Amino acid sequence: MNADLVPGRHLPDFRLPDHVGNQRSLSDLAGGDPMLLHFYRGWWCPKEQAYFRKLLQLQDEAEVAYTRFVSVSVDTAEESAAFRAGLGARWTFLSDHERRCVHELGLLETTDRSHNPFVPTVLVLEPDLRIHAAFNGYWFWGRPTNEELRQAFRTITRSIRSDWEVPAR
Amino acid sequence: MSPCWVARCSTRPRGAIASATLGDDGSDGMLAAWQADDEPQPGAVKIDPRCIDADGDAAWASLVLAPRGTWLLFDDVAVSHAIRSVLAGPPVDVVSTFVTGDDRFVGAITAVHDDEPTRLRDDPFAAIFPTCLVRVGPGLLGRTPTPVGPMTQRYGAANPWPWDRFPEARA
Repeated sequence: MNADLVPGRHLPDFRLPDHVGNQRSLSDLAGGDPMLLHFYRGWWCPKEQAYFRKLLQLQDEAEVAYTRFVSVSVDTAEESAAFRAGLGARWTFLSDHERRCVHELGLLETTDRSHNPFVPTVLVLEPDLRIHAAFNGYWFWGRPTNEELRQAFRTITRSIRSDWEVPAR
Repeated sequence: MSPCWVARCSTRPRGAIASATLGDDGSDGMLAAWQADDEPQPGAVKIDPRCIDADGDAAWASLVLAPRGTWLLFDDVAVSHAIRSVLAGPPVDVVSTFVTGDDRFVGAITAVHDDEPTRLRDDPFAAIFPTCLVRVGPGLLGRTPTPVGPMTQRYGAANPWPWDRFPEARA
């Protein structure tokens, strides 16, 4: 895995088409919130299908927690949109079908010469794209549990919300 | 930044930042937009400012409006379900809830810059209040970035959804 994708480093602000076909920049997608950035192999991978079922459970919490999810693969925008709809995911999917970003980030899974996909990787980002936590999901158990993600979101949110401690009257 | 408001009018009002005719021949009046701290005229509702573009093209809009004197709390389950459906559903060009006060949901606008309103057939907000499909002339509606998801909450009590960040968000 790319040695630059470690806590404390900033991710480059790349642009990719989303599942609708619109070009989106990572900084725009982050807004002012913590963000889960999830690179996955593709719709066809059983490990990804299993992991998405975990993220779907967290979706119902994230929707009220000022937290954003973005999933990225080398699937086409149309494949991403169909996969997203089939899952019932309510977050943004990005398509790196041209494989520009996968090379730029050094995340090409070289052992899969058929799909040339991303190495499954989960990054938890602060609003300025600083990496708070990084997980190598090449082996399934390397992926973060939902509880690990909750703890990361809590830490980031505590640091960015000036009113984390309830304001006094 | 001052909130953005819209209201139906018979003619373009003074102070409006954008406006467009409604109906094929403009026979349904106008929709006008303002940027103002307070309600610019009776009946105006708050809208995500990114929807408004004085150079915007004509569009078909599903205009959901609460009957006069009617509203739902923005946190009502029906509103949350509709927002989830918007996030999960097919893309549109413009979407915003309408808000009055701090917490009153009074409708929504969903629009597409298409020649036909086919993509507006299943507006989730139409399950809450009456809707009408209307042709909006050029000069009002831009394009809203597709909401990132899965957030269903508003950024600030008085703001519509899907405005996407707190004003003092760290860059």
